[in-house]
Amino acid sequence: MAVEQTRGVPDAMAADDPIIQLRNAAVTYDHGESFVLDHVSIDIERNEMVGVVGESGSGKSMLASAMLDAIPDPGLLEGQITYTPGDGSEIDVLDLDDEELRSLRWEEISMVFQGAMSSFNPTMKVDDHFRETLRAHDADVDAGLERAAELLSDLYLEPERVLGSYPHELSGGMQQRALIALSLVLEPELLVMDEPTAALDLLMQRSILLLLENLQEKYDLTMVFITHDLPLVAALADRMAIMYAFRLAEVGETRDVIEHAAHPYTRALLNSTPNLDAPLEEMRPIEGSSPAPINMPDGCAYHPRCPLATSECRSDAPAFEESGPGHATACYHIDESIDQIPLNYEDMLDNDGSQSDGDDP
Amino acid sequence: MSSQPVLSLDGVEVHFENKRGLLDFGAEDETVRAVDGVTIDIEERDVVSLIGESGCGKTTLGKTCIGLQRPTGGTVRYRGQDMWDIRDGKSQSDLEWSDIRQSLQIIHQDPGAALNPNRRLISILSEPLRQVSPHLSKSEKRERIYSLLEHVGMNPAADFAERYPHQLSGGEQQRVALCRALLMNPDVILADEAISALDVSLRVEMMDLMLDLQDEFDTSYVFISHDLSNARYFTEHGDGKIGVMYLGQLVESGPAEQLINEPKHPYTEVLRWATPDLSLQQTGEMPMRKIDIPDPIDPPSGCRFHTRCPEAREVCRQQTPETYQVDGNGQRAACFRRDESHEYWDSPELTD
Repeated sequence: MAVEQTRGVPDAMAADDPIIQLRNAAVTYDHGESFVLDHVSIDIERNEMVGVVGESGSGKSMLASAMLDAIPDPGLLEGQITYTPGDGSEIDVLDLDDEELRSLRWEEISMVFQGAMSSFNPTMKVDDHFRETLRAHDADVDAGLERAAELLSDLYLEPERVLGSYPHELSGGMQQRALIALSLVLEPELLVMDEPTAALDLLMQRSILLLLENLQEKYDLTMVFITHDLPLVAALADRMAIMYAFRLAEVGETRDVIEHAAHPYTRALLNSTPNLDAPLEEMRPIEGSSPAPINMPDGCAYHPRCPLATSECRSDAPAFEESGPGHATACYHIDESIDQIPLNYEDMLDNDGSQSDGDDP
Repeated sequence: MSSQPVLSLDGVEVHFENKRGLLDFGAEDETVRAVDGVTIDIEERDVVSLIGESGCGKTTLGKTCIGLQRPTGGTVRYRGQDMWDIRDGKSQSDLEWSDIRQSLQIIHQDPGAALNPNRRLISILSEPLRQVSPHLSKSEKRERIYSLLEHVGMNPAADFAERYPHQLSGGEQQRVALCRALLMNPDVILADEAISALDVSLRVEMMDLMLDLQDEFDTSYVFISHDLSNARYFTEHGDGKIGVMYLGQLVESGPAEQLINEPKHPYTEVLRWATPDLSLQQTGEMPMRKIDIPDPIDPPSGCRFHTRCPEAREVCRQQTPETYQVDGNGQRAACFRRDESHEYWDSPELTD
């Protein structure tokens, strides 16, 4: 079933100043029989915020882990991953030895996982986590702790109280924020977050997003935000990448993706999302379910669920091609998709880009 | 059918005592005020959604509604009878505690943990039938179960009935949990974050199913969620009301669309701000002065939201607002700003 295939990045999608470039990044757990990340290529621009959106089991966490070469064993990561720090050099991430990889992680590229409680050691106070991290990377501990205090107050936490607490003494939202501060203490350039707010209530999620926005500005960070919750990142991300069945379905600027979603899956996903403004009778679940890696259909992975599928879709996977300025889609039927799958919130967008709506009486 | 509500809560309080340990010399016993003075009615075929942040007491209130949690103050009436008097045998009513418990059911957030992993679906679903209709023959039970499974979209039912819970997807497990609750012929089902663990794309489907079955089985739902857009979908379709909880109190309640479009309590506006939508508005400033919810052990004086409220004034710290009626449609809010002649308007703004 595993056809050797490569998917490049369309020229228009190549970043001017990429911080990290993935080329045909693929992850397999059975020596190439099936892929849980299926030859994905994407550039991340320096200082941008990219939201990677997909359902559970779409391979989005694999994409995040691939950026740090941190695929859980015994997974095998292939392809080309190039990290470009600000000084003009290029680092081949998959070529680093263990020691180099250790310093790349956290000092250059840092990662935050969901469920802060399992990232902290329950027997250590929060400040010991900071100390341990600083020591492990041979950093100046005192200067580091000062930075920690500043990061914590950037995240609306009281540094003394939080640093002197055990993880269980903090609420879920506070733990997650403390973890974000910990991930930034070594001043990384790129922060990869895998569902960092998933276990929290909406109000805390939204608050954390707002704080992340402030952090990004203050510390010139590049952020990759992985989530299954499309509307959550929509307000925050510069660009969005939609994943379906271990491949990228669509990548584009956030507003462009929401207003002119080209892939039938993206449009179905947008329509299935409960939101406060769409007419209630037009929210629709997506029929069917997404495929497992060992059961990947031939051709476009979405074709069994797609109302527009033709014989072409069933036999050959569509290439990932430019479908607009800065917008790429892997689909043969983009025009039909836009034509025949109306978005249930279209009325709301029709005021020509002027986004005043919602709160006005 | 009388207009009497199925459940009627009046001034309900649930306080948890946190006894001091042997080693905490000198420490005071702490009281967690999980629910503090809530009054709410649940009618026949009603939908009541409770929303609020983690720790606001919505689950405790939900459990109090269906008799799983005994209130430390106030009364919970089932069809006009105090259910805890019946429980204690203090009531002359001919209602039995077991009948009440049977008619008030729950579905949990994590269906995987709610279904016995060692039993097939047919055996899981036979259990409620054995309780409700012990006279049914084995084949009658089987028929009832199959038709319900088909109804919730689990085809072929005969195949599904022989499966174990782990052989189902999360959405299917939740549907089985719903079936199990419905087979008890309940008057009220508490759905405690019942769709939160499902993928976003499956949530609408599950809510549709629940509403569809409501018509069939004549039940009411108490729907607990932290997501305003889900609560809106469920409540509006079920023609019910939303109650907004903050630190154990009901701060605003009303019909879904009205409450969302014209929130009358600053906290409801905060929740609306927190609800993502696709209109791509800039998130802008946070409409709150503090991010973290205060400790329910020692809730703030006066209006409990005053420590975070962007509109708070001095008087909010000193006085507790009553619940004001807003307009005709049954919308209510506990905020001084709803009273145009209140001294709030002359009170100095809180700054900290």
